[in-house]
Amino acid sequence: MKTKLLLSTILGVALALPAWAATHPVTGEELAANQDYTYWLLDAIKSMDPQINTDVEGSGVLRSLFEGLFNEDQVGGLVPGVALDFDLSDDKTVYTFHLRPEAKWSDGKPVTAQDFVYAWKRLADPEFASEYAWYMELMQVVNASAIIAGEKPLDELGVKALDDNTLEVTIEAPLPYFPQMLTHASTFPVRQDVVEAWGPKWTDPEHMVGNGAFMLKEHILGEKVVMEPNPAYWDADNTILEHVTALTINDQNAALTRYLAGELDRVQIPAGQYPRLAAEYPNEAISVPQSCSYIYIFNMDPVKGPAALQDVRVRQALSYAIDRDVIVNSVLQGGQAPSYNWTHAATAGFEMPDIEYSHWTQAERDAKALELITEAGYGPGKPLALTLNYNTSEAHKKIAIAVQQFWKKIGVELTLNNMEWKVHTDKMQNQDFDLGRYAWCGDYNEASTYLDFFTSYSGHNNGKFVSEEYDRLMKESKTAENPNLMYTAAEQILADQMPVAPIYQYSLVEMIKPDMRGMSTENLMQNWYLKDMYRVAQ
Amino acid sequence: MFAFIARRLAIAVPTLLLLVIFSFLLMHAAPGGPFTSERGLPPAVLANLNAKYGLDQPMWRQMVNYVWGIVAHFDFGPSFIYKDRTVNEIIAQGFPVTLTYGAISFAVAVVVGVGLGVSAAIWHNSWLDYLAVGISIGAQVLPNFVMAPILVLVFTLWLGWLPGGGWEGGQWQYVIMPVIALSTSFMASIARITRSSMLEVLNSNHIRTAKAKGLPMRKVILRHALKPAMLPVVSYLGPAFVTMITGSVVVDMYFSTGGIGKAFVDSALNRDYAVMMGVTILVGTLTVLFNLLVDVLYAWIDPKIRY
Amino acid sequence: MVIDSTRMKSLADRLAGDEVKGRSLWADARKRFFKNKAAVGGLIVLLFVLAFAAFGDLIAQYSNEELDFSIMGQIAEKGGPSLANGHYFGTDDLGRDLFARTVQGTQISLAVGIVGSAIAVLVGTFYGAFAGYVGGRTDNIMMRTVDILMSIPYMFVLILLLVVFGRSIIMLFMGIGLISWLDMSRIVRGQTLSLKHKEFIEAAEATGVSRLTIIRRHIVPNLLGVVAVYATLLVPLMILTESFISFLGLGVQEPLTSWGALISEGSGTLNYGTFWQLAFPLFFFVITLFAFFFVGDGLRDALDPKDR
Repeated sequence: MKTKLLLSTILGVALALPAWAATHPVTGEELAANQDYTYWLLDAIKSMDPQINTDVEGSGVLRSLFEGLFNEDQVGGLVPGVALDFDLSDDKTVYTFHLRPEAKWSDGKPVTAQDFVYAWKRLADPEFASEYAWYMELMQVVNASAIIAGEKPLDELGVKALDDNTLEVTIEAPLPYFPQMLTHASTFPVRQDVVEAWGPKWTDPEHMVGNGAFMLKEHILGEKVVMEPNPAYWDADNTILEHVTALTINDQNAALTRYLAGELDRVQIPAGQYPRLAAEYPNEAISVPQSCSYIYIFNMDPVKGPAALQDVRVRQALSYAIDRDVIVNSVLQGGQAPSYNWTHAATAGFEMPDIEYSHWTQAERDAKALELITEAGYGPGKPLALTLNYNTSEAHKKIAIAVQQFWKKIGVELTLNNMEWKVHTDKMQNQDFDLGRYAWCGDYNEASTYLDFFTSYSGHNNGKFVSEEYDRLMKESKTAENPNLMYTAAEQILADQMPVAPIYQYSLVEMIKPDMRGMSTENLMQNWYLKDMYRVAQ
Repeated sequence: MFAFIARRLAIAVPTLLLLVIFSFLLMHAAPGGPFTSERGLPPAVLANLNAKYGLDQPMWRQMVNYVWGIVAHFDFGPSFIYKDRTVNEIIAQGFPVTLTYGAISFAVAVVVGVGLGVSAAIWHNSWLDYLAVGISIGAQVLPNFVMAPILVLVFTLWLGWLPGGGWEGGQWQYVIMPVIALSTSFMASIARITRSSMLEVLNSNHIRTAKAKGLPMRKVILRHALKPAMLPVVSYLGPAFVTMITGSVVVDMYFSTGGIGKAFVDSALNRDYAVMMGVTILVGTLTVLFNLLVDVLYAWIDPKIRY
Repeated sequence: MVIDSTRMKSLADRLAGDEVKGRSLWADARKRFFKNKAAVGGLIVLLFVLAFAAFGDLIAQYSNEELDFSIMGQIAEKGGPSLANGHYFGTDDLGRDLFARTVQGTQISLAVGIVGSAIAVLVGTFYGAFAGYVGGRTDNIMMRTVDILMSIPYMFVLILLLVVFGRSIIMLFMGIGLISWLDMSRIVRGQTLSLKHKEFIEAAEATGVSRLTIIRRHIVPNLLGVVAVYATLLVPLMILTESFISFLGLGVQEPLTSWGALISEGSGTLNYGTFWQLAFPLFFFVITLFAFFFVGDGLRDALDPKDR
């Protein structure tokens, strides 16, 4: 198999050389003749409508079919998309975006500010009932909350088109990371006439009109998505890939097998397989930080949560007793980082407080844990029985089993309760759990996307952690000159109060064919753009 | 005969209704709904969504609306999760796929199984018989979720002969592995049933008479033995059909064929009420029809049976 | 996998032919059974598997849940079967002893198979016997109900049940057992119908024995042969069903496991140099299914001797 592959590559290169001497317009690298790219999707894309989509995989496709005000470069910095630049008012609440006049839809019509106004109103429209309507609230666009609640008419949303190429957005309070939020798929423009002509069918390949670098050719649920370059795209000359296929493969191991058989160009590596693959395919296996954080939440609800978890000593003991090094080095084995805090350490501008227990050895942590839990009235002689809820997944299961064993040492009898995702989520949101597995991925590259989670007024704070000091810090951070000081202080509160046991911070662990370039793997948010990708000749 | 068919169809209606009510209630009793999501929707958004999909109405009302939509317009409603699509579209896309690989598997299982079973019976106690029995028992106990990854490993990764998955409109190279994975255990069961039934028939008086009259063996088998020997095989086809639909879950998962097997499991896990109901009704209807077909076939083969 | 209906019918016909003459039928059957090499072989394998499930824990060097930190993370290199470190069957992906896990998985799978089959047989026998014996309208309604239930795609319902009520062993037992009694009830009813007009039943009726007592004392014992054979052949079907449920991730909770769960884990990692993770559980799974199969077949042939 291998020799055959090699032979065909050589043949391909030999044949390609005289005919195809194309080079990359910026880097000057020699391009391969074959510019097809096939990547892996775990599940079918649920919706191709930017204002309906809710998942990461869908956003990946949408970033290539549509284009928002800004894009991200290879390392996550903002680069112009439809917007060339913006003006900001003195009170930092009014943004005026100047749109690129040459931006076109795939049917040739120009992209206008009105298209954005329509899309954003659509996202907030209570009748449309987008599951991502809360993103408008998160962006603090004026009147978004009231409109979603049905208390104000849609027209009062703080967004308007001053002319075809000028978009004005008013937000409730200064928000330093507001432009960062505009790369999110739910803010992408859509065409009113197309949506209204076809209804929900407008996302079918034959009807869809997009303004991204690629166009949808085929979308077969559970099988594949096929995309091809959009000739009307303003930067079409620099789009290099010619044919992109996303294959849905529900089984991670099957996907890896098919990558190894040469059917895919990019695939995720299952837990535990990275070291072997990295040794065997050093040019293909990668592990890079990804902005997600994995935790066990303690249910601190005074009524529904277990009494023992009200005691900070118990929470600390549980957190200390987890041997994170074993989890990342022996269970996951994909270059993930052991975690002693909540915010992903690589988040832009974030400064880690000095968390004491992160410097201890595991033996010291175990000793301290035993001491604390004994003080609290439990321990090996008087076991504490708790239940951990986690959702079905091979990796979650492995970590849970390991933690169960770690906690045995300090006399905690942990029952594992595996549930499918919907039940797990439902129980978490109703505080119907003792401990729950959770992971949060940043919406944008700034620490508040993590830290807002534990405010008492957050909708996501399922463990019901309450700290006035924490709330105060987070509120102040919204208008502060340097919010990162508050973020560091807030993290210190989490480390002291331990409302969650942090476990590890994600890495993206993947196999990528060695001739692929422009994959955005250095972008912490892992937001990639097909228009940046290309294959080099080898 | 017609009276029989009519009566069976009349039973089908309450059966399906029962199935609808049962799965509807079961589904709604499950914790979590279609819009339960990690981020936890703000109450206002959730209320809007529930209003949009009619989930704010009382349960009986939802059920009546649902059944009415099907009866009056053959409309199974929109999917709650794949929001760009209706249930009708999802089924229209997935069902032909399942039907294609299912029908081929079925044909392969019947033809090969019957052939193997008949040969084993004719050359009873020969090496061929033992081989057939051995294969058929072995093939029956190997679960298809073990067979599927092994097939991919061998034919895709090691030999490089077949693509590891996909459907591509049903091109032959994409159909082979799903069919092998799905048909093997049915083939084995059919072989075993055919063998014992054929042996029974070959030992019966009328075949003995035929043989005694000096008819050549081939004629005895084809003219006299095969038809009665098929009776138990035919009655096995009904349950086999249902099991095959179940097996399509494994095929869809490993081979990314995009059939309705996976759609069902996903919809149950995602609380996509509409798709779940749609697929259940489809499979229920097919089961009823298929059982009826089997009964008619049975009556046709065995003239002793009167309905 | 399926239970061969021709031979079940042949057996049923024979057993309904005349009243079970106490010991002689069973004594003859026993003699014939022990002459059948495949059946005896199956029985020996079953005893071996039962002993493995019952006493395997005594031999195991580890429990089914403790992690071997010296192996964890290097399973493909160090986790293979070894007498030296006490992991006779190697370890799973987390460094848990596969021997102990196979023992424990065997316990669960056998339990699911046997209990599921017992529920199916009990419900099916009484339902069928009652319908057949009472006859008339009741029979008609009861058997139409069976027809209706037979048209329900049961695996779908089972998946729904496990999703709705959460996964638990009880649910698995009930769910698997309750979907398999339908065939049983049909066979039993057919046989009851033919028994009903036998002299010994009519004699009992004439002396005023109550219906339930007749069913219990006279009908059911005469069904025993069919029931025993059917039950034996049903066990492997139940085990297969459980393995499919485990494959979907709806099986028993960790740290408990079953053959299905072990096989499904093992087959996923087939290509990663940990072949033993599939081989050992699959071996026990296959030999047990074979064994039940041969024993059931042998039992049937012993009760219904014909040249096959």
